[in-house]
Amino acid sequence: MRKAIALLFCLVAPALWAHEGHDMPGMSMPKGPELGASAAIDGKGRLWVVDAADGHVRLRHSDDFGRTLSAPAAVNAQAEPIYAEGENRPKIAFGSKGELYVSWSQPRAKPWTGFVRFARSTDGGEHFSAPITVHHDRAEITHRFDAMAVDAQGRIVMAWIDKRDLEAATAKHKPYLGAAIYTSVSTDGGVTFSDERKLADETCECCRIAMATTPQGEIAAFYRSIFGDNIRDHAYAVLHADGRPLEAQRATFNDWHIAGCPHHGPGLAIGADGVRHAVWYEAKDKPTIHYGQLEPGKAPVHAQVIATTGASHADVAVSSRQVWVVWNQVNAQGSALMLRESQDGGASFGEARAIAQSKDAVAAPQLLLWQHRAFVAWNTAAGFRLVPTEAL
Amino acid sequence: MIRRALLAVLLMLPLAAQAGAPVALKAEDVPALLKPPAHGVRVLALWGLDCAYCESNLQALMKLQRAHPREIELIAVATDSVQQSVALEQRLHAAGVDTLPSRAYADAMPERINYLIDPDWGGELPRTLIIRADGSRSGISGQLTPAKLATIP
Repeated sequence: MRKAIALLFCLVAPALWAHEGHDMPGMSMPKGPELGASAAIDGKGRLWVVDAADGHVRLRHSDDFGRTLSAPAAVNAQAEPIYAEGENRPKIAFGSKGELYVSWSQPRAKPWTGFVRFARSTDGGEHFSAPITVHHDRAEITHRFDAMAVDAQGRIVMAWIDKRDLEAATAKHKPYLGAAIYTSVSTDGGVTFSDERKLADETCECCRIAMATTPQGEIAAFYRSIFGDNIRDHAYAVLHADGRPLEAQRATFNDWHIAGCPHHGPGLAIGADGVRHAVWYEAKDKPTIHYGQLEPGKAPVHAQVIATTGASHADVAVSSRQVWVVWNQVNAQGSALMLRESQDGGASFGEARAIAQSKDAVAAPQLLLWQHRAFVAWNTAAGFRLVPTEAL
Repeated sequence: MIRRALLAVLLMLPLAAQAGAPVALKAEDVPALLKPPAHGVRVLALWGLDCAYCESNLQALMKLQRAHPREIELIAVATDSVQQSVALEQRLHAAGVDTLPSRAYADAMPERINYLIDPDWGGELPRTLIIRADGSRSGISGQLTPAKLATIP
């Protein structure tokens, strides 16, 4: 009888461990830092990288274009939960006087909830202010997928995905698709943020918001929205920091219908001539990355397919007549970082070229410009890489 | 006393067998998962933790499977890492779908598993892959409408 009980325990115990296993000391598999990271190159050519590990947004820098990175410094002294995966990643931007601004989204207790957080350093990253919550609404709901940029006047413009209107509609048993986008501005270098304003209702609830600076020095946003019955095309809006009304206009017209989470936001770069270079993803027939020049309210011009099957997470940059598009291309063996370049302002693009490979997990690539040269920030499970775009 | 303990353990067995943690899905396991069933359809309900539409989709598919138990084999496949099995299992349990056979990705590059399962899928969730006995496959992205559900059996 005892033997029978022992045998039964042997059968049952693994199932019980499987229930709880990963909370048990010594049983969890090692888990490296999540791959959500952002990078920026300052005017002196110093590369700055933010990502998250162990409850801290960590800041590293490099003076040799990513070959070596400094030891990480904690942005938030006190550990807190941080979203750092997929489209939800810490951000970094520079102020007009060399300030470092860092933002991130903090998960709350319930699934999909979050607060948008912000901290700044005025001494080149030596010290950071205690993090503040950007929005004044403190309901335990979604405020996440933060995006941040600094306009020509040094104002910090933030935008994020916010479910307060969905919650209100649901409470009244009214239909509401997706989530809203809210925006807030700091005119005092990130000490305080204005009351948030709604940019748009019924936008996609899980895709990053792309930002770029217009020739007038304002910040523009390009994001996946919802039109009609779950048509998840994109919209464009200038985020006026001076209180003028915000007007979002549909800017892509692929008519991809999906009641689901693409987790796949667009990219935007605006030339000095005002041309709005954009890349975006849809999978109506198969995964497709498009390039086009936005004409908000109308179909984009010079629209062309950049890549299809296996392609994801594109970014775009422009300097004068040169346009770069990068994306991740997966196949059965691993991922490649792909590049296509245009020398004629985006009218046509050269052949696709693999500029880096990875067998480890990769994050979305981010194009960085420095003195008319383009680099790609590519975070991989094997480490952060800064990949030059010039053919060797 | 011993008999009682034995009885208690015996009573626990079916629970442990049904509501287990998701089983790891590695790249080399994908061909077996995609193999056409002997009859009827195998439905892979791909879902993830960060997907507001996934749980209701799983519920709708489970209801359909319960109505056609002989024709439909339904497997919940989480695209999140099997390292998150505790969170995955909690979510399946909360949605009342934890009696389904369940898998979760176990690969250094989740996008590679996406690609191996269906190269014409970019990872958007929920995703329903329908594999029929005749070898044909079809994929549907997004929450299934009643009309689309009706095409499965």
